[in-house]
Amino acid sequence: MKIKRHSTVLIGIAAAVLLTTSGCSGGLLAGDGGASSDADAGPVKLAMVIPISGSSAPTGEYMQNGANLAIDEINKDGGVLDGRKLELIVGDEACDAQQAVASANKAVSAGVVVSVGGYCSGATLPQLPIFEKAGIPMIIPAANSQDLVNQGLKNVFLINGTGKQQSTAALDFIKKSGFTTVALVDDNTSYSKDINTETAKQIEEDGSATVALSTSVTAGESDYSAVVRDIMNANPELVYWTGYYQEGGLIINQLKKAGFAGQIMVADGSVDPSLSEIAGAGAEGVFATMTQTPDTIEGAEDWIANYEEKFGSAPGPYSTQSYDAVRLAAEAIEEAGSTDGDKIIEALEGIDGFEMFSGPLKFTPEHTLSSGGFVILSIQDGKFVLEDDLS
Amino acid sequence: MQLIWDGLFVGSFYALIALGYSMVYGIIKLLNFAHGDLYMLGAFIGFAVLSSLGGIPASLSIGALLVVLLLSMLLTGTAGVLIERFAYRPLRGAPRLAVLITAVGVSFSLEYGISAIAGPNPRSFPIRLEGEVFNLIGARVSLPQIVLMIIAGLLMIGLNGYIQNTSTGRAMRSIALDRNASLLMGINVNAVITRTFFIGSALAGAAGVMAGAYYGKIDFLMGFIIGLKAFTAAVIGGIGNIKGAMLGGLVLGFVEAFGAQWFGGQWRDVFAFAVLILFLTLRPTGILGERVTERV
Repeated sequence: MKIKRHSTVLIGIAAAVLLTTSGCSGGLLAGDGGASSDADAGPVKLAMVIPISGSSAPTGEYMQNGANLAIDEINKDGGVLDGRKLELIVGDEACDAQQAVASANKAVSAGVVVSVGGYCSGATLPQLPIFEKAGIPMIIPAANSQDLVNQGLKNVFLINGTGKQQSTAALDFIKKSGFTTVALVDDNTSYSKDINTETAKQIEEDGSATVALSTSVTAGESDYSAVVRDIMNANPELVYWTGYYQEGGLIINQLKKAGFAGQIMVADGSVDPSLSEIAGAGAEGVFATMTQTPDTIEGAEDWIANYEEKFGSAPGPYSTQSYDAVRLAAEAIEEAGSTDGDKIIEALEGIDGFEMFSGPLKFTPEHTLSSGGFVILSIQDGKFVLEDDLS
Repeated sequence: MQLIWDGLFVGSFYALIALGYSMVYGIIKLLNFAHGDLYMLGAFIGFAVLSSLGGIPASLSIGALLVVLLLSMLLTGTAGVLIERFAYRPLRGAPRLAVLITAVGVSFSLEYGISAIAGPNPRSFPIRLEGEVFNLIGARVSLPQIVLMIIAGLLMIGLNGYIQNTSTGRAMRSIALDRNASLLMGINVNAVITRTFFIGSALAGAAGVMAGAYYGKIDFLMGFIIGLKAFTAAVIGGIGNIKGAMLGGLVLGFVEAFGAQWFGGQWRDVFAFAVLILFLTLRPTGILGERVTERV
């Protein structure tokens, strides 16, 4: 195998091609001389453990397509590490801890270098120790529970805003709109509960609004009259639902049927085209805290067109984050100049200003985004549109 | 009042599904864990029928719903009969546990079979029952709720009449008491069991269509939780007993509504099942336990 000699030049070219806008900094030269291409030849494998089956399967498909789009682009431009192709190993998590563990183990034994998956926080958490033991860095595109970073594992990087950042965005909007009483409802999953507790904490600390009700429902049921009754009794100006869209749609529908007159806001797990289908007419005007989706990002038209041409359908939630996760992984591998996990982690920590859909990337010491990039969407004519970019 | 009404409404769904559980248990001592999935199957059949019919004007939605309801009941009932014929009948003489596991297997086959055919995504039901909401002595009641409860009530009354007054009904009751003796008396036991499965499954299918039309969302796992709750309702009422199943469904609906009110929504299931455990400790045979009245 030919030893790479002009690595900095190659990296520069690769990076320039990779980046749609040039935001790359001198961090490129941070490698250790560059000639340490120690790993085997053959494709560089990336693991993506996402929901392929189960109720979150549609989102899994968006993520997989987004990742494949990035992989094809990078491979077309010569791959990574002097011509090695990227290969995506997809595993099913089904939003279920046991399935996720099995898929993660399978990916590790397939010899993956970086993990770019993770949607349901509850199914991503048990993957952490598996990839950590194998020394494999994880760039998590969607899952964003605070629990993921609370353990302080050095291989874990979140490129979605965290629950904490989402709560801050929710609070900003609550203050901006002048809501004084808020009801928080979650579905008892790790991700959802996390946002509920954090939002409650921030609202209380801030003091401009009060939490009229904080409660949980059981996911997977059809009848939510109990929580609807609780909400009607508490009579808040805003209901903030932090769970996923299936139950979210039902709760919105049942709240409206019960004659609830206040406003409703949902968190990012409920941002899905199906939400307004399930909720019916009641979904009009519902707010959402969400990171930017392709339709709300200005200048993403070309990207959307590419995606549609390739997959025959429009991109959805987390297509962009998955696309960015793969690009970021490729960038870090190039920069590390090897497939060694520790070096890639070091490279990820050093990245500053890498252009992503959510803005220039720099990780905080706890490996989350330095700015969450959350905005407020609202449903108009059954579709999520940008309501307020909170700037 | 709102509590009572909500409890009654949810309870009537539980009761419809609990009936099937109870009838099957009464006759062949089988806990048919696939029963909740027949409810899901009914909803999907209703969905398929409605989609193939194309657009239905809103004014006809109640009428269309009734037609679809009957059709789905027929098809779900047939599915129940097939399940009995191919999964349960060959194991009629086998140990109880083997049949129980078969039932769990049937449940998974139905869930993931539907998931494979119709896709894992939730579907929104083509017709949505939206109607007038009015105040009835302090409770917010909507027209669709009343219609659905009347349908559920009629189905239950019809079933009760069928079991009490027809020869098949008598045969069911006699098999429940003693299968071998019934066989010796010239009753075609297999035919009666088939009919029992048909009726039980058809009721679950009816509940599935009604839930789809009222809540507007169906998915392949929708039968799981409600199946467990219906089973609970059947046990509360006294499993094997038809009136007990109806009563048990309503009781569970009330217990949940009041539990949610007193302790907050997130404690609802804890409270409901704590009540169940307490209740069964004191009265293991349920409200109308089989020792008290005749089973079916």
